Amino acid sequence: MRRLLVAGVVLVAGLALAEPQEGPGAEHAQGVDEKEVSVADYILHHVSDSNEYELEVPILDKYNKTYLLPQLFVPMPWGGRSCEPLAGAEAHGDHGVARPSLAQGCLDLSITKHTLFMWIAAGLLVLLMLTVPNRDKRQLVPRGTWANLFEAMILFVRDELAIKNIGTKYGAKYTPFLLTIFFFILFMNLLGLLPWSATATANLAVTLGLAVCVFLVTQFASIRAAGFKAYLAHLTGGVHWALWPIMIPVEILGLFTKPFALTVRLFANMLAGHIVIFFLLGLIFILKNAALAFMSVPFAMGIYLLELFVAFVQAYVFTMLSALFIGMGVAVAHHHEEHGHEAHGHGH
Amino acid sequence: MSMPLVLASGFTDVRPGLIFWTLVTFILVFAVLRWKAWGPILALADERERQITGAIEAAKRERAEAEKLLLEQKMAIADARREAAELVRKNQAEMEHFRDEMKASAQREVEALKESARRDITEQQKKAVAELKALSVDMAIDIAQKLLGEKMDDSRHRALAQQFVREVPAEDASKTPRA
Repeated sequence: MRRLLVAGVVLVAGLALAEPQEGPGAEHAQGVDEKEVSVADYILHHVSDSNEYELEVPILDKYNKTYLLPQLFVPMPWGGRSCEPLAGAEAHGDHGVARPSLAQGCLDLSITKHTLFMWIAAGLLVLLMLTVPNRDKRQLVPRGTWANLFEAMILFVRDELAIKNIGTKYGAKYTPFLLTIFFFILFMNLLGLLPWSATATANLAVTLGLAVCVFLVTQFASIRAAGFKAYLAHLTGGVHWALWPIMIPVEILGLFTKPFALTVRLFANMLAGHIVIFFLLGLIFILKNAALAFMSVPFAMGIYLLELFVAFVQAYVFTMLSALFIGMGVAVAHHHEEHGHEAHGHGH
Repeated sequence: MSMPLVLASGFTDVRPGLIFWTLVTFILVFAVLRWKAWGPILALADERERQITGAIEAAKRERAEAEKLLLEQKMAIADARREAAELVRKNQAEMEHFRDEMKASAQREVEALKESARRDITEQQKKAVAELKALSVDMAIDIAQKLLGEKMDDSRHRALAQQFVREVPAEDASKTPRA
């Protein structure tokens, strides 16, 4: 029975997606290359950030709507170009059109599709966290599925990520930060899996912003645990001063590779899944064969389920690595204490 | 898909504005959640863990205490039992002793009574014998007067009669049955 139902859904979905292909022959006459380009273009357009939100209505294309999101330009002191909001086609065009850049003196704070969905995710997160696991203060045990689910995840982050990687001394202190990182990324990842939404974490600027937060917190943790002098001393790698010209750039490079790895990993993972799904479905249009839906739609569904898993895994990996970096930063203190003790011992 | 297309598509664009909004959003979300969600939730979890640990510790302590108390009780009961047995034993011994004493004292009393009775009898006997002797002297004198027909000098005759009586053997008196 269930198998029949799934087959039926797949068939309907396949036909619905294949429908545009059964239109007038004019499109069929176009070259395969051009069609391929248009599919790729469609996919890349879809996963890219944009100044507008497109509400697509399946099958009934004529009801599609495009909303231009608010624009905001802030003039910078070095600016030469006027920072007036763009109008008409210029405002809509998301690529190819030269928007005023930061180098030209305009900080583009316009709300984009990904900004919008980041805010929706943030709003949902705050709303859920303030209502679901927060309960009567006298009630020590969570009741109900959702409260238990959230509490289990929160305690997992605290025990398995924060305390295991940072240690019992500082672990609890950075737990709120790691919890925010974890749930913020998780909500953005999951929100991106819903129809008509966009994945904010599949954007380099968003993942970079998050990685910058982790970078700052890591440095802060290191300085706070070890003191500024020990922090600077650690940047020299603890070698003879003659080697400093080599060591210092290496250590500083090491500081930046960590957030860079965080940025690219999350971005690439979230983007790749979406592109794969789109391509599997796009195969129907590229090969112009509606029967292909019987293969691509189940495959796309499989990838979708994998994406669901990846949404959790990537949130976990980002948080785990953040905790690891903070733990390494905090460990600078112990490292130097040990060195100090050794020197002291040798003195005797 | 060609490389220029990828570059032109813009999905690798890094918009400074979006970095800015990400930072702002993250900091706001962090501040609100830390204040209203993580703080209370983690505090509750800590409190719960503390209470559970405390309860386990208290249960362990109370169990040990209960076991100690039980042992003490058992020992106290054993002590009490031993004491009771001791008491019973002592009581029995005392009773035995008391009974023996009673018996002995009764015996003694009986002996004393017997002795005094014997003494009384002897005394009475002696008195009776003496009376009898006196009576027999008088009778002997009377008889002798009558026999001789003459009035004898009282004091001379009396001494004579007493001499006769003294010669009567005394053993017969002691052999008489007790009164």
